[in-house]
Amino acid sequence: MEYISLFVKSIFVDNMIFAYFLGMCSYLAVSKNVKTANGLGLAVIFVLLCTLPLNYLLNTYVLQPGALSWLGEGFKDVDLSFLSFIVFIAVIAAFTQLVEMIVEKFLPSLYSSLGIYLPLIAVNCAILGGSLFMQQRDFVNVGESAVYALGSGLGWYLAIVALAAIREKMSYCNVPKPLKGIGITFITVGLMGMAFMIFMGIQI
Amino acid sequence: MNTNSNVYTVVYTTIVVVVVAAVLAFAAMQFKPRQIANVKAETLSQMMAAAQLGQKEELSAMGNDAVLAKYAENIDKAFTVDLSGKKVRDLSTDVNDIEVIDNLKPQDKNIKAASANAELPVYVFKSGVTVIPIYGAGLWGPVWGYAAFNADGCTLAGAYFDHASETPGLGAKIKDEPWFREKFIGKKADFEGEHIFNLSKNAEESGADNAIDAISGATMTSKGLNEAINVWFAAYKPYFKAAAAAAVAVEQTVNEQED
Amino acid sequence: MDNKLKETILNPIFKGNPITVLVLGICSSLAVTVQLKGACVMALSVIVVTGLSSLLVSLLRNTIPNRVRIIVQLVVVALMVILVDQFLKAYAYSVGKQLSVYIGLIITNCIVMGRIEAFALGNKPLPSLLDGLANGFGYGMILVIVAFFRELLGSGTLFGFRVLPEAYVPNNLVILPPFALILLGCIIWVQRAVDKDLQEN
Repeated sequence: MEYISLFVKSIFVDNMIFAYFLGMCSYLAVSKNVKTANGLGLAVIFVLLCTLPLNYLLNTYVLQPGALSWLGEGFKDVDLSFLSFIVFIAVIAAFTQLVEMIVEKFLPSLYSSLGIYLPLIAVNCAILGGSLFMQQRDFVNVGESAVYALGSGLGWYLAIVALAAIREKMSYCNVPKPLKGIGITFITVGLMGMAFMIFMGIQI
Repeated sequence: MNTNSNVYTVVYTTIVVVVVAAVLAFAAMQFKPRQIANVKAETLSQMMAAAQLGQKEELSAMGNDAVLAKYAENIDKAFTVDLSGKKVRDLSTDVNDIEVIDNLKPQDKNIKAASANAELPVYVFKSGVTVIPIYGAGLWGPVWGYAAFNADGCTLAGAYFDHASETPGLGAKIKDEPWFREKFIGKKADFEGEHIFNLSKNAEESGADNAIDAISGATMTSKGLNEAINVWFAAYKPYFKAAAAAAVAVEQTVNEQED
Repeated sequence: MDNKLKETILNPIFKGNPITVLVLGICSSLAVTVQLKGACVMALSVIVVTGLSSLLVSLLRNTIPNRVRIIVQLVVVALMVILVDQFLKAYAYSVGKQLSVYIGLIITNCIVMGRIEAFALGNKPLPSLLDGLANGFGYGMILVIVAFFRELLGSGTLFGFRVLPEAYVPNNLVILPPFALILLGCIIWVQRAVDKDLQEN
């Protein structure tokens, strides 16, 4: 039950885009058509799902104050939390690199369709943001962090595909000249965010 | 020099990693004492605000050393209890070595599961009020605070709340608006009933002593705070029961002596 | 040379503003614009981080092996961000607490990486430092403008002091996240109405 609640909450209520503005740069840049948006969205879900539990384990067993106590009594007071940013980003960058190499080697067709967006994921704030929120929220086990990763990844995916669909239609609209392009996109995202706020009242 | 050879790349990355780690470790060591002092002073000033020893803003503006001194001056005793209300150990209240438990992190759901060796801090001030912490989940992140009980173990003398990231102007009012925490003064905990405290919309209409109106527009934050209060007070229930019984016993002995 | 330096400094502030024109670094920014104080600290932190990391990468630019370029840049940026974060925790505790995870997210702020890739890797230290500082400033300026409107309309205050009369009923919509985006859309609208060169076709 806890898991379902966390899952639904991380998709709709704590949506990475609409509630936290995370991953905005690639969100705005890659949402011009549904097909590429779809590819990037899936890649984000995948990377988030792999790095967040990994970072959770690192945080719990290496970085947190007292996390090293499994090494022995002498390590009880070691606090490495100041290294967390750098460790998280290193894990994410390394993982993105790894995914890129694997996909390139074994799934060349997927690689050519995703190609340039894969390395972009390393600097996608949604991924690092996920890890930082995980640290702030004290999840109790790996399962919870994995559910949270899947949920926020899906939320991001949903948001980018929806915006891409709207932007495809919007290219036929008569938008005031200064607003064309990025201006109207911002306002659209704002309105979508407002629509998403209705989920805030759900109770599971 | 060929900057693209394998050897160069490996050596270069190793040097970068070592240098960065060294700089960070040095900086962390330099800043650490101040950071710890900040967290401690923040915790103490929140507790003193709950115990009505001053406004939080004034206390924070006093500076860390003054906050520590004021706490040491006003504290009577501090100790931790377990979930059955038994005392575990004393916390130092000496001005040079004030001990507070400021890394409370158990979310509401695992305090119940917290094993029998859970340590719940209790701070008794010279004015007679007992301050205990609460901790829970709001809408966006954690909410926490301190509640001050009178010596009878059920009437609230004050409270202070803080949050990590509630919506400013809505949920953040639990911290920003003094009238909200002042509402708690004089409310009575109902340890036997369904809710120890009932913080919800229009709750005060019922006229019950434990009812407090929630902030309108901040439903989820209020709900989280309500749950945090009830879960944590329930954890302290055995302690307060024992304390109340002890208070009655003292009163009786005093009465008998007068007879 | 002087003109070129001047261009480096002035360009990011209006014509090449990182937020409204290049659309970089929106991620970690908008959530901190509810109050002016937070926005100012965030702006200062970003200025420091972009300036110093551009400077450092520019100093190292001839030694960085091309294959691990991105990782080295990330490490440099992360180093600066951690220093800023630790500093805030030690000397501006309450503000640092308010900004929480968003300081950490400066690491993935596209402005920082973008300026390093586009400018610092190919330029001398001094112009790189100025370019970094100017871009951070252009970014911070937008942040402060958005925060000004959101705090004024959403709470009736500026820097926590009441400006609008008590009779003004604060607009709760303004402090919710979506409004920041709408406000930013409007700022872009105004900017592009003034400078027609920036309009998209």
